[in-house]
This record gives sequence, structure tokens and C-alpha cells, in this order.
Amino acid sequence: MAASYQPPPVQPVLPPPRAESGPAAWARDNLFSTWYNTALTIIFGILGILGLWYGVGWVFLDAEWNVIPTIGGRFLIGQYNTEGACPGQNCFWRPQAGLLLVTLLLGMAWPVAGGGVAKRIAILVTAVVALSAFLPYGLDEMGWDVRLLLLANVPAMSIGLALGRYTPLGTVKWVSILGVIAFLLTLVLMRGLPGVPGLQPVSVNNWGGLTLNLLLAVAGIVLSLPLGIALALGRRSHLPVLKLMCVVFIEVFRGVPLITLLFMSQVLVPLAFPEDFPQNSLFRASVIIILFSTAYMAENIRGGLEALHPGQAEAARALGLAGWQTTMLISLPQAIRNVIPAIVGQFVALFKDTSLVYIIGMLDVVEISRAFIQGNPEHLASARELFIFLALVFWVFTYTISYIGATVERHMGVGRR
Amino acid sequence: MLARLSYQGIPIWRHVQVIQWTSQVVSAIVVVALVAWFFINIGHAIDDREIPYGFSFLSRAYQTPIGQTWLPYESSDTFLYAFGVATVNTVVVSISGVILATALGIIIGIARLSTNWIVAQLAAVYIGFFRNVPLLVQLFFWFYIVLAFPRVREGYVIAKGLFINNAGISMPWPAAGDAGAAAIWAGMALLSVFVGWLVYRWLSRREIETGTASYPVVFGCTAAIALGAIAWFFVTLSQGVSPLEISHPAPQGTFGRIRGGITFSGALVALLVGLVMYTASFIAEIVRAGIQSVGRGQTEASRSLGLSGFNTLRHITFPQALRVIIPPLISQWLNLTKNSSLAGAIGYADLTNVAKTMTQTAPAVSIFILIMLAYLAMSLSWSLLGNLYNRHIRFSGG
Repeated sequence: MAASYQPPPVQPVLPPPRAESGPAAWARDNLFSTWYNTALTIIFGILGILGLWYGVGWVFLDAEWNVIPTIGGRFLIGQYNTEGACPGQNCFWRPQAGLLLVTLLLGMAWPVAGGGVAKRIAILVTAVVALSAFLPYGLDEMGWDVRLLLLANVPAMSIGLALGRYTPLGTVKWVSILGVIAFLLTLVLMRGLPGVPGLQPVSVNNWGGLTLNLLLAVAGIVLSLPLGIALALGRRSHLPVLKLMCVVFIEVFRGVPLITLLFMSQVLVPLAFPEDFPQNSLFRASVIIILFSTAYMAENIRGGLEALHPGQAEAARALGLAGWQTTMLISLPQAIRNVIPAIVGQFVALFKDTSLVYIIGMLDVVEISRAFIQGNPEHLASARELFIFLALVFWVFTYTISYIGATVERHMGVGRR
Repeated sequence: MLARLSYQGIPIWRHVQVIQWTSQVVSAIVVVALVAWFFINIGHAIDDREIPYGFSFLSRAYQTPIGQTWLPYESSDTFLYAFGVATVNTVVVSISGVILATALGIIIGIARLSTNWIVAQLAAVYIGFFRNVPLLVQLFFWFYIVLAFPRVREGYVIAKGLFINNAGISMPWPAAGDAGAAAIWAGMALLSVFVGWLVYRWLSRREIETGTASYPVVFGCTAAIALGAIAWFFVTLSQGVSPLEISHPAPQGTFGRIRGGITFSGALVALLVGLVMYTASFIAEIVRAGIQSVGRGQTEASRSLGLSGFNTLRHITFPQALRVIIPPLISQWLNLTKNSSLAGAIGYADLTNVAKTMTQTAPAVSIFILIMLAYLAMSLSWSLLGNLYNRHIRFSGG
């Protein structure tokens, strides 16, 4: 008798599964998965809503933001345009001309970097700067010249964009060279040239505001990376004397607070030069900040070099590459790629550290605000608002640095190779 | 003979070792010469401008007031003692700051990885904000918050003996009733903590070896507290005074100045809050990275063995993460210690601030050397502590 095929009994239709996607499932998985998660959600949800409620209420109703427009342009340039610094003239156009160079370069960088972050930053910076020409100040406080120069950033960016897109200048090499030239040109513009009408010298002691922070940060970022690489290589060298010198430098600069170094540069360094030798506290401060950042940068790079498998260098040597070729073409690129987060973190730290120049009496954006509060006790109650504003300003810049770093990292394929 | 004629070796100036050593010697000479030139010039300047130098000033009276101090200080004390007082001020801030920042940082770092979306987002916002704003701005912010508190006479009274006003925060604090009794009890208390630790070790070893639940933490703490209490009664009975008395702060005099207890000055409160919030955001990122560096399989294996989420974190993930966390954590401790030098900006008399004032009446070079030595000693102490712990927890073979 042939076994007859018995079809399985028809199962009843199951109910659809509980939602595996959609907001309800998301809330169940991320907010109410266990009893203590539910408790945490309720507690922190209430705290968050309360914080938001009172925070928003304070920002729009209670806070006295008047102090910020009162300080106004001094946030940007400190005492630069005062009668004491720049007698008989309006010198505001000089940092503004520097700003024009920056937007020009941003416009050039846009096509060179192929859009992406460079595009967004160029558009955002130009838009913010140009729109600030319409700030509701009276014309006696913010004249036509200032407003027109702010608006001129739009054509400057466009010219840069055209230069980068349609001329042979649109390469990384040319943008870097022009960047250095623009930086030096800005320094000359700010400092002034004796004998040139309209460019009367302004002592660096009168430089200040956000311009000072940015100048120090740019100089530090540009110089501390190559110097740090050199020091890291020196510290890993098998030449004992070289290694010793690098170790001593790194450890001395890492062992002492930046503020102490800055202060001592102010007290000690002038003693090492003749009394009539031209002294420049800004130059000293920037050298100290660069060296300090270099010491930390060197340790970051060294970390990347040590994490590299020795087989990489050995393979390179076995293929016949010379020692310097192995370092420059094999070890360093991989090491740097691996420590991009640490390098970007150091750039952020460097930018934050520029606020420490208050110790040598320079009026950077933080110190000018503090000095303003101290000099105008009627604004003492607005100190909170003022420092929240400063925190936001710094946050925007540091966040941008981190954002660029993350993009570069993604571009280089970190974590995917 | 033939070999000598056909091959005479590479010329000496192209010999690798010759090049390396020559360049090293030359660069060393240049560097040493520059440093020597720098200091010799400073020496000449000191002679020419008749600036005092040397360390003889240390035994002179400092004659300048210092703000809040932890050691008793009077203006007639010597420079050396004032320097010590300032160092203690920095040490107090850095030790309490390190402890608080580490605790807060670990909590926020773990919260950042929480499966609870709200908690993780709040932690992310905290980290993203406090890490990216200069410490100086944060310090000023907290300082002006404290300054905006009501004046002493109209200040808040939170509870009996807890005052908050623009002079700072006052709270009850134990004060030694009798120095001898306090010292005896302190010694006994240390001993009982040690005994409690022994009990903890013994019980946890038993728990690991036999698998029976022995509650090492509960019994260890109980033993320590019980022994401490017994010691307290013993000292009180034998000496006739209790070793410590709680001193309550209370407003006194016509100006209502608060005396008794302990008062943390506004500058100190702002400094500690700022340092702790700032450093905790960095520590949180270190903790997060450390926990994420532990392989996912570890968590999965532990959960499948039946450990709860908390026990997985406590016994499996966190101990392994510590190996990754400790080295950068130590460098954050060093950073906190060095960042405490910003105290001067808000008027707390830390080492850098006092030293800066000292340079007005004492040779700057000597003070620079002293500051460097003091910070070096503090940095080395933190490194030593961290490295000892690191050695304790690293892989021990097996």
C-alpha cells in the first residue's frame, strides 16, 4: 500500500506581529524597554522639558541681551579702532579688508575641495558677514563704509569662486600659497606701514577681539602640525642626542600650564634681549602658543606612529624604499590618518587656548568682555548673558573645526580600510 | 692586497654613522649654545638692571595677603611658607576636582551609551557643549553666577547651617574637639578601614572560589563602620571628649559674617564647578571610547550567561575598558591640575596666581624655577598614581 501524502493541517492565520518599526516600536525599544528605563525616561523627560521651558522663557523674556550690541564691534577687533590705537582715522577697514581676503579664499577653496563642507562654509560665512551689514545700528555707530565693506564680501567670494573654477589657480597648491600670502598681508594691513598714508602703524598691543583669537589660532594650526611631526619623528629616532632634545622639549612644554609659560615669556624673554630691542608681546605669545601646541601635537603623532604595525615599514624597506621615503610615503600618512581625531582635538584645544592671552594683557574676545563688565558695573547683571553668548561664539568655531575634521576623516576612509 | 687596491671604502663624509653623529653633535651644540645665550643674556640683564636673583628671598616675609587658604597664613609669614600655602591651595582644588570630575565623567560617559534615547541625547548635548567652550569662558560664567547671589545678610538658608550667598557656600564641617583625641581616633579609623578592606578581599576571594554569595561589599563596609564606631566610643570614654565635633556655621556680628563650619569662597566654588564640568566632558568621551573598545562578543557572552545589564557593565565591560581608559584619564587629571592655574582669572589664590604676584617683589627667574618644580611634582604624582593602578589592572598573563 503506497504511503499517501498527508497535507499538513491548515494553520490558523496568525495575528500580525507587534509593530517592529514605526514610532511606537522605536519608543518601546529606546524609551520603555525595562522598568528602570521607563523611570529614567520619565525623570529625564520631565527634567528636559522643564529645562527647555525655563531656558526658552529666560532667553526670550528675562535675559538682558542689551550688553551684546553695546559691546558690538569691540567683540571683533577689541581696542583696534579707538582713538588711542588709531588716532585721527577710521581703521576698521583694515581688519575688514583681511576678512575680504578670507572670503575670497573660501570662494577659491569651494571648487578646489569639490563642494561639500567647503561649499557650505563659504556660503554660510559670506551670508552671515553680508547680512551683518544690515544690523540695526545708527549710521554714526556703523557707517556706510563699514556696511559696504561687509557687503563686498559677496563679490569677493564670487571672484574667488571664479578664480578657483576657471583659472589654473584652482589647485590645492595655489590655494595654500595664496592662503599664506593672505595671512601675511592681513598681518601687514593690521600692523600698518610707516609712511604710507592710510596705513599708519597700530601697535600690536591694541589688537584684540575675535580677530586676535583667529590670527593666533590660524598661525598655531598651520605651524604646529609640521613642527609636531618633526618632533614626533625626532622622538622616535634612534639617534640618542636628537631623541633626548626632543623628549626634553616635549616634556617641559607639556609639564607646565600654558598660562605659566605665557606669563613667564612676558617676564623672562625681554631680559634676554637688549633693552632697545623691539619687543612684541603678540609675537612672543604666538610663539609660546605654537610651541605648546607643537609639544602636544608631537605626542599625538607619536601615538599614531607607535600604533602602526612595524611590518609596514619593514615591507617598505624590503621593497627598496630609502629611510626617508619609508617615513614620508608609508609610515606618516597612515599614522596621521589614524590620529586625525586627536589632531582635530588639539586644534580645538588650541583655539580655546587663545583665550589665555589675557594673562599678558591682550584684549582678546573674552578679556574685552570681562574688562567691559568690570569697567561698567551697571552691566554686571548681564554678565551671564554675555558669557553665554561668548560660549556660543566659541562653540560655533570649535564645532566647525570638529566638523571639518570629521569630513576629512570620512574622506580618507578611516575605519573602512 | 688586491681588495685594498680595488675597493677603498666609501669616503668618510658619506659614511652614514659619520653623517648622523656629525649632525647630532652640530645640532646639540647649536641648541645648547642658544639656550646658554638666552640664560647668559638674562644673567647679564639681571646684573645690569640690578634685579635681585637667587633664593635668599624665600626666608623674607611675604607681606602680602592671600585670599582663602587651607593652611593658616598671615602676611608676616615667609615667601617659602606662602609658596607652600599657594601650592596646597592648588593641590586641594586639583585633588577634589579630579575625584569629582572622574565620578561625573564616568556617569556621563556611561549615560552616553545608554539604551535610553533621552539619557543618551542629554549626555551627548552635555559633552558637545562643555568640551567645545573655553574653560575661561565657563569659569567667568560660573563666577558671575555666584557673584549674582544675594549678599551675605539676605542670602539663602537652605537648611539649618547651610548658607548660600555671594561670599560662597557655608556648611557644617567636623572640627577637632581635642587634637589628641582626634588623632587617636583618626588612626583607629584608618585601621578599621584597612580591616574592612581585608574582609572585602577575603569574602570576594571566597565568592570567586566557591561560588557562594558572600556579599563582600556589604560585610566589608559593615566591618569598617562598626570598628570605627567602637573606636569612637572607646576614645570618647577614655579621653572624656568626643574626637570630632560638628561645627555649625552661623551669622555673627553686625555685618552677619558667617563663622564656624566651613565656607567655600565664591571663587573656589566657581573654579571647582567649572573645572569639574569641563574635565568631566572630556573624561566622558574617554569612558565612552573605552567601553566601545571592548568587543561586542564580551557583552553578548555575558548577557547569555545570565548577567544583568548592570552586572555586565560592572564585572565584564568596565574592567576591560579600564585598560584603555586609564592612560588618557591620567592625562586629563594632569590637564585639570594645570587648568587650575586659570584660578587667578576669578581671584582664587592658586599657585600661578600667587607666584605672579610674588614676581613683583621677588626675582622672576627663581619663581619660574619653583613653579616648574611644583607643577612637575604634581604631574609626576598623578602619573605615578595612575601608572600604579594601571599596573594593578593590566593583563596578568593567562
